[in-house]
Amino acid sequence: MANEYYEFFCPVKMVAGFKALEHIPFELSSHDASRPLIITDRGVRGVGLVDIVTKALEAADMQAIDIFDDVPPDSSMITVATIAALYREKECDSILAIGGGSVIDTAKGVNILVSEGGDDLRAYSGTGVVKSPLNPFFVIPTTAGTGSETTNVSVIKDDKTGAKVPFVSPFLLPDAAILDPRMTLSLPPKITAATGMDALTHAVESFTGLAKNPISDAYATAAMKKIVTHLPEVLKNPSDAAGRLQLAEASTMAGIAFSNSMVGMVHSLGHSVGAKCHVPHGLCMSILMPHVLEFNLSVSSENIGELLLHVAGSDVYASTPVAERPAKAIATIIALKEEMYALCELPRKLSETGSVKETDLEDIARMALDDGSMLLNPIDATFEQALSVLKKAF
Amino acid sequence: MIPIKKGFEADIDYNYQRMYVSGMMQLISHMLKAGSQVDDVIKTEVAEMPDGFVFRMNVMPGELSLTMQKQQGALVNLTNYTDKPDLTMSFKHVTFAFLVFSFQEHTAQAYANERLIIDGDVPTSMKVVRCLNRLQTVILPKVVAKKAVKTYPDLEFIQKIQMTTKTYSQFLVNLVKER
Ligand SMILES: [Fe+2]
Repeated sequence: MANEYYEFFCPVKMVAGFKALEHIPFELSSHDASRPLIITDRGVRGVGLVDIVTKALEAADMQAIDIFDDVPPDSSMITVATIAALYREKECDSILAIGGGSVIDTAKGVNILVSEGGDDLRAYSGTGVVKSPLNPFFVIPTTAGTGSETTNVSVIKDDKTGAKVPFVSPFLLPDAAILDPRMTLSLPPKITAATGMDALTHAVESFTGLAKNPISDAYATAAMKKIVTHLPEVLKNPSDAAGRLQLAEASTMAGIAFSNSMVGMVHSLGHSVGAKCHVPHGLCMSILMPHVLEFNLSVSSENIGELLLHVAGSDVYASTPVAERPAKAIATIIALKEEMYALCELPRKLSETGSVKETDLEDIARMALDDGSMLLNPIDATFEQALSVLKKAF
Repeated sequence: MIPIKKGFEADIDYNYQRMYVSGMMQLISHMLKAGSQVDDVIKTEVAEMPDGFVFRMNVMPGELSLTMQKQQGALVNLTNYTDKPDLTMSFKHVTFAFLVFSFQEHTAQAYANERLIIDGDVPTSMKVVRCLNRLQTVILPKVVAKKAVKTYPDLEFIQKIQMTTKTYSQFLVNLVKER
């Protein structure tokens, strides 16, 4: 179906490829910044990724003024306030976030406080409250999956109430995303596979959802092709730096796609499985994606059929009759899951995760209906339908 | 088919669109109140909203709006509420509200088309959207309702008629009471 209206926005500069990290000093100085604060977590620092960045800075006579490496897996308002105080105390003028989703969300929150003022992040919660540009902010992703470096959203836990508070503004976007293969080279196979499947889901859901548009489609389809080509390659040869870079690029491109076109029911169900049973997000995506596509077939078979070109290639697409393309596209994704199970034992079903019980499924289905991602899924699932998809994935 | 087709609003004066949207907002708020008293689906959704929860649907910059609050298990209209509501759904222009209220674009599509900003707690927003969808499937003729909601539910004709009658009757009862 043709789009009657759409918007597309991505002002994030891409600094991507070999020796990308060595471009950071120039990026900082071109924003008139010279006193960056590094925000990261213990795991990232522990494997030496922060050292690579600080050495690259030092060689250009620049220094990270301080390093905050205690971001928890769930970004929280107290952490944000603590880091903002550190930033002010050390008179920093910019932020380098090195990490995955939680580090990036935390850094976005810190940038709101240090740019807009105050200590209470809650004052800026909601949509469009931040209305002016923030301080220079650069993101160096260390996983190839979340795409947070291209989204205008940050979700931060209110430590008092436990609620997850959203912050939405175009000014939350970083000035640049720095994609360097060194940052993802040491990612273990299972995490590589799961985060890659998260990125693939972002591309697939953006391409099949209600807000799809021609520009995000271009990013989504290019991302799909990179992922299906390079994910198995990288799992077979984890030190394949060129392949790692392809996955990092694909993840960012899928991020650009879904930050403009949103995600759908794979994420509604996946967020709920994650919240209830603490299964990693990418793993939920991988398990659920084919089942949700099957559920959506009745109204979006055309878009799902078009997926085949991007996940299976032009030969397969051309030799498959139109009517068989949707089923073949889903079968191709299932085959990719099987391949990843063979390569790194990435679970294929909810029961294989060891964390989900069949008795949890009803609660998960109920939670999924209240997840915002359901709004732009092609079909509004009922409780019974959501439960039936979960049972198939169990 | 519905006699209106997309693009039709281009010929309609904005003042007329504003009048239409204003009237529809009045009607929806009264119907939603009635629905929250008698319709099983809406009652269940409202039951899960926090007590005192306030939501507002408006047209920017804000002169057209409807505000409702959950009080004693049902939704009631608020006329002079000046605090920030828990949930706000804002149409960026009166013509976008007209598209939705003349059933040319459903709420989810309006959101996908960036015509509508939803600001507030997400799970409760989803419940409100489902209440609005249910209301439309109940009070509108099926041919219109099919365009007004994303997914038209599996609803037997007889069930629909019963719910429609119940909701309209309650709406009339409320009107008489409020006199
Ligand atoms: Fe995701």
